[in-house]
Amino acid sequence: MAKIILNNQEVETREGIPVLQAALEAGLNVPHYCYHPGLSVVASCRLCLMEMKMPHPKTGELGWAPKLMPSCQTPVRDGMEVRFDSDKVHENQERCMEFFLLNHPLDCPVCDQAGECHLQDYSYHFGKSESRMVDQKHVTPKKDVGPRTLLYSDRCVMCSRCVRFCDEVAGTGELCITNRGSKAEIDAFPGKPLANPMQGNVVDICPVGCLLDKDFLFQQRVWFLKSADSICTGCSTGCSIRIDQNEDHVHRLKPRFNPRVNQWWMCDEGRFGFKYIHDKNRLTRLKLRRGESFESLRWESLAETVRYRFEDVAKKQSDKKIAVVLSPFMACEEAWLLVKTIREVAPEATLVLGPVPTVEQDERFPVGATNGDTKFIIRKEKCPNRNGIELIIKHFGGNTETFDAFVEQAGAGEFAAAWISGGYPTEWVSKDFAKAAGKIPFKVVHDLFGSALTDEATLVIPACSFAERDGTFVNATGVVQPFARAIKPPQGCKRDGQFFYELAELEGLYQSPTVLGMMAAEIDEFKEVYVPPQLPEHQH
Amino acid sequence: MAWKAIDRVNAPAEESPSLSEPLKEKIRGFFDRYPTKRAVLIPALHMIQDDHGYVGWKAMEEVAELLEITPSDVFDTVSFYSHFWTHPKGEKVVMACRSISCDLLGADRVLDECKKVLGIGDHETTPDGKYSLMTEECLAACDHGPCLMINEKMHKCVDPANVRKILEDDANDKLDIPRSNLYDGANRTSA
Amino acid sequence: MSEYEKVLLKNVGKPNSRQLATYVEGGGYSGAKRALEHTPDDVIDVVKRANLRGRGGAGFPAGVKWTFLPKDREVTYLCVNADESEPPTFSNRVLMEEDPHQLLEGILIAGYATQATVAYLYMRAEFTEQYHIMQKAIDEAYEAGYFGKNILNSGYSLECYIHRGAGAYVCGEETGLIESLEGKRGWPRIKPPFPAIQGAFGKPTVVNNVETLANLPHIVNRGADWFLGIGPEGSSGPKLFCISGAVKKPGCYEGAMDFSVRELIESDRFGGGMRDGLKVKAVMPGGISMGILTADELDMKMDFSDPAKYGLLGLGTASAIVIDDRTDIRQVLRNVARFFAHESCGQCTQCREGTSWMYKMTNRVERGLGRMQDIELLGEIPAKMGMMPGLSICGLSDGAAFAISTIVEKFRSELEDYVRNENDDAVRIALEIAN
Repeated sequence: MAKIILNNQEVETREGIPVLQAALEAGLNVPHYCYHPGLSVVASCRLCLMEMKMPHPKTGELGWAPKLMPSCQTPVRDGMEVRFDSDKVHENQERCMEFFLLNHPLDCPVCDQAGECHLQDYSYHFGKSESRMVDQKHVTPKKDVGPRTLLYSDRCVMCSRCVRFCDEVAGTGELCITNRGSKAEIDAFPGKPLANPMQGNVVDICPVGCLLDKDFLFQQRVWFLKSADSICTGCSTGCSIRIDQNEDHVHRLKPRFNPRVNQWWMCDEGRFGFKYIHDKNRLTRLKLRRGESFESLRWESLAETVRYRFEDVAKKQSDKKIAVVLSPFMACEEAWLLVKTIREVAPEATLVLGPVPTVEQDERFPVGATNGDTKFIIRKEKCPNRNGIELIIKHFGGNTETFDAFVEQAGAGEFAAAWISGGYPTEWVSKDFAKAAGKIPFKVVHDLFGSALTDEATLVIPACSFAERDGTFVNATGVVQPFARAIKPPQGCKRDGQFFYELAELEGLYQSPTVLGMMAAEIDEFKEVYVPPQLPEHQH
Repeated sequence: MAWKAIDRVNAPAEESPSLSEPLKEKIRGFFDRYPTKRAVLIPALHMIQDDHGYVGWKAMEEVAELLEITPSDVFDTVSFYSHFWTHPKGEKVVMACRSISCDLLGADRVLDECKKVLGIGDHETTPDGKYSLMTEECLAACDHGPCLMINEKMHKCVDPANVRKILEDDANDKLDIPRSNLYDGANRTSA
Repeated sequence: MSEYEKVLLKNVGKPNSRQLATYVEGGGYSGAKRALEHTPDDVIDVVKRANLRGRGGAGFPAGVKWTFLPKDREVTYLCVNADESEPPTFSNRVLMEEDPHQLLEGILIAGYATQATVAYLYMRAEFTEQYHIMQKAIDEAYEAGYFGKNILNSGYSLECYIHRGAGAYVCGEETGLIESLEGKRGWPRIKPPFPAIQGAFGKPTVVNNVETLANLPHIVNRGADWFLGIGPEGSSGPKLFCISGAVKKPGCYEGAMDFSVRELIESDRFGGGMRDGLKVKAVMPGGISMGILTADELDMKMDFSDPAKYGLLGLGTASAIVIDDRTDIRQVLRNVARFFAHESCGQCTQCREGTSWMYKMTNRVERGLGRMQDIELLGEIPAKMGMMPGLSICGLSDGAAFAISTIVEKFRSELEDYVRNENDDAVRIALEIAN
């Protein structure tokens, strides 16, 4: 702990962090471009300069030093006094803003960054409305620097964040600075473009409209976007994300700062992996088999139908088993409600964790990092909540099976009924599984997309994607994290939490915190939920 | 895309020379001089430019591999320094000094004369590939301005009237002193 | 203007002055031998007592710089700054071209004093002949046992390598030089850490200028008192002065720091007076970065303290460009602005954008298309850049600021006269075309 005097007010902060960070945390709007807490300090944008009290070299008396100091490069020392509210500081900020905009094309009307641009914001807050340069501007080219990323050099402020990200976090070093002086540009070696699986982050950390996401290019003016705090479902890291949507259409995912999980970053697989949400082939009809064909079922009848049918099987076919296959894409709350319901009507039901999509190994960053110096991991487990589902299964106990054993036993005709939850973004039903499932006479299939399983199901329940749901995931390291819904489910679907809530015969609307509270009363692990701290308002 | 963007996704279409094994060996000979391989980059680039006449894309990629850095690191360094060129230049590179001393002593007339005689502009190369013309901030021979440097040879107190004679002289880039075995004395630690 | 026995340039003009044999014959390497017989601290001590101030431009005492090295260091690097790029400076060129072994002896002494293991001689790329000369001299020195393992049986070992730059003025800044040595773009580093603590390759490093090192053999041989006896207090010791431009005898001269700019121009020992009956209009006496003097300010003493009184940044490289009265000040202004715009490294905003903006303006002003606002801006922008007010990482922008602001301040009426007499329509049309 350290106490410093910031703009004449005593502020408690942490010894050794950059004064800029302390000032931002204290709520000050200190303009800055090159400083990013996740990257090395270069102190080159010269926008965050401050005044600092120093001992006079001769008399030793404390007084404001004549030089401005970069606040990003100056560590907090207990008792220090600094200020950002002097004329000298303001004058430098104003001058810098004029310099940054000298050669800027001012093409905000066609720039994706407009509305969330720190050139716009800072020049509004700290700059002047007119440039005094009357000469011709430098024109620097647009560059296609990667499969997902475009670079508009002419909007660049040379903060070098993107270059440092590739060097220090991704560890792949594709971007570089070329030339020097006012001709300096960001570039990539021809034929060696941005290829790292975290390249989307360079767009996030670009404080201006220089680096742009091809996927989002010209899609939306950002002021139309509404956001919800969610968790990425791409792997078991469980990055904190923000879902940006307009009119129930998701346009992009952005990472949210989470010091325990993903810091400031997310990977491209997660970032761009949301497109299935709007796939036109999604299941959107609740349907019940009548002979060879299906007919629609009203959502109001679902709870009764499910409870009655499972209870019936449990009673009448006690020589056979009932399965509940839980998906690692389900929220803890959804799984808990479901198991609670089925176990009420069929206490012997076997709990099964569905397949966990897994690739060969984790990818660590910077590339080549080992345990100690790892800054980010894309995990091999391509689902968000295996840990959470396992907690639920362990809690309920009783009959449990592995998925493989379940498939084998089902193939041998041991199961009379099964609830099977899917919700995987890609095809997940193997031939063996489909064949085995064929031997289960009564099947409720709850999934996003049609498959061999839904074709043969007794009851098909359309599932919702993560953007339409809310609840809690437990990530690979055991962090329990809530996620919020961003959009309405497609027409015909019902939010999973809601129908599970009704299935459990609970009254009213599903609120994930309510269910979480019920779970926490039974399961210790859910007593502590981690919500990352908000970034200071003016940090970016 | 409907607008023009420089392509960095695909490898450049133009051909450029590879590093020969002897050249690579020469570069490796410098490894003992520095605690990091990257530090050999600037000497290596000099050697490459001495050999190829410029530092092409391929050479950048290969030297990156040799020094265990990324090609973008090499591109970054090459482009920072005004004495490395990434595209072929003439056999002889004429550098006309334009620093304050030379400027006040008539460097612009010397430069104009060079342009006239060679028939090219600043940063251009004659069609026969013999000469390229460049300007230089200061050649540190201000007592003898205006100066011209042709490859390694400095021409001092250049009179515009003599520019043609200088440029027509075949030996205009030959040094009067013995040229050291450029970069060959790498391993002298045992001496 | 005192006389003393020349030391730095004493071998200039001697036949075969580049050869080791000639150098040794004249007493060469005796300073190094003497140093090796003493402890490194003894050597540091004598250099500190002599108050040898760095000759590269900043004037920081070399001996004091050495004492910043941490006591418990294992590896130390010595970087020799031969990136002489400041127009119109060429004293390092003369030293290396004419007397390479004097520098090498200085390197050996500095290396020993700082217990350096490797000395890198960072030479700018434009030094081509000088490179071959230095390489030959280093080869000779190695052969004679002045470099390598166990030098002259002292137990001290030092490797000496030339590292050639590639055309970047900013690499003359010590941390820019270190970055360039490491194979990177020469972007000066933020400080702290200072090179003495964490320099080249993360190790303690000393960066000294060629002329500073060339003084060492003489200090070791003749003692601190000899050095202090030359020139005024605070600016003692022999110094090289370059003079170019409109004088009869442009060149590099040695002297004590006890004479004025006027004497530098007029004295037969130095410039020998103005040529062709020209008159002095202005002088940039310390390299262009230091700023300009008018013809009325020629009494400025060429020492470390006097330049500040004339609004200059410092003594700099003590290299004067004499501008005659036929010269259009706009040409000087444009030339200087172009230099800094070309050489700004591009790291700090104020310098990157400010230098190129000023070049655009001065270029237009020179073409007769200036506006009064341009003159105002050319006065204002430099005041808002530089390391001295804390606005940039290195001193390049201070240099740009002093060069341009002193020209604009001191020649404002001439600039305004030009602008006043311009055709307003031409200016307006030119600006419309530009945008």
